[in-house]
Amino acid sequence: MGIIKSEKRDPSSFASSTSPCAHLRTAYHNCFNRWYSEKFLKGHWDKVECDAEWQKYRACLSQHLKDKHLIRFLEAEGIVDSTNQADSGRTIDGAAAGVSQ
Amino acid sequence: MVRAYTQEHVYKHPWERVTSASWRKFSDPENKRTLSHILEVDTLNRKLDPLSGKLYTTRAVTVHAPGPWFIRKIVGQDICHCVESTVVDARTRSMQLTSRNISLQKFVEVEEKIRYDPHPDNPNGWTICRQETSIRIKPLSALASMAEKVEHRCAEKFLQNSAKGREVMERICKYLEAESSGIANQL
Repeated sequence: MGIIKSEKRDPSSFASSTSPCAHLRTAYHNCFNRWYSEKFLKGHWDKVECDAEWQKYRACLSQHLKDKHLIRFLEAEGIVDSTNQADSGRTIDGAAAGVSQ
Repeated sequence: MVRAYTQEHVYKHPWERVTSASWRKFSDPENKRTLSHILEVDTLNRKLDPLSGKLYTTRAVTVHAPGPWFIRKIVGQDICHCVESTVVDARTRSMQLTSRNISLQKFVEVEEKIRYDPHPDNPNGWTICRQETSIRIKPLSALASMAEKVEHRCAEKFLQNSAKGREVMERICKYLEAESSGIANQL
């Protein structure tokens, strides 16, 4: 598909705490988009792919996420724990608990 | 004080293409100029329920929301953090996104819900998008007198941004359409 040929970052003046993860984020999102269109939508929903990309991106995020609002939210939802572990092997129950159906 | 807005839009593209476009809306670099108010989008969590075919995703969205000077003075910043939760049900073909702000909640609470469903008149060709936005300005005493004005500006901004969002969605759908027919030709 190759929608993004090179990982170009917009030279905006804004640098967030997660900017160092930008290229890992792009790699993950590219992989996810491909999986979504080519597998998930076609009925192959037995597992999420892009695990390697996800682990790397997540590890980077948990290191760089500095915003206190976000951290508090994530801790409250059980998405990250306060020890800032990069391990995402555990299933995160209730992560979407805030979603009304 | 709550203001609620409902908008509807019909995409003349199938649900699969529209929801693929929705995932790409913030991440494709081509859209950065149009959606310049979106500074960062990070995926925080993802979960797939293999039995039901439901995909749950949580993303953090950092929005640049510059307001009038007196608001910036009171609020002290013009960046707002939002959390977006998405549920895609592949079996019933529905996608629902709920976003709310997690910072600046002392001042304002915004909740936006977007649903993408196959259009009843043409379920395999068109998609209907329903968007509900509710904006609640907190009646802080200092803000009370200008709350009405703030609410109005906030709503205006939202409507402008959702129009931009639709423009981007249409563009990505066209791109995906061209891409899929290109692939079909190669096969």
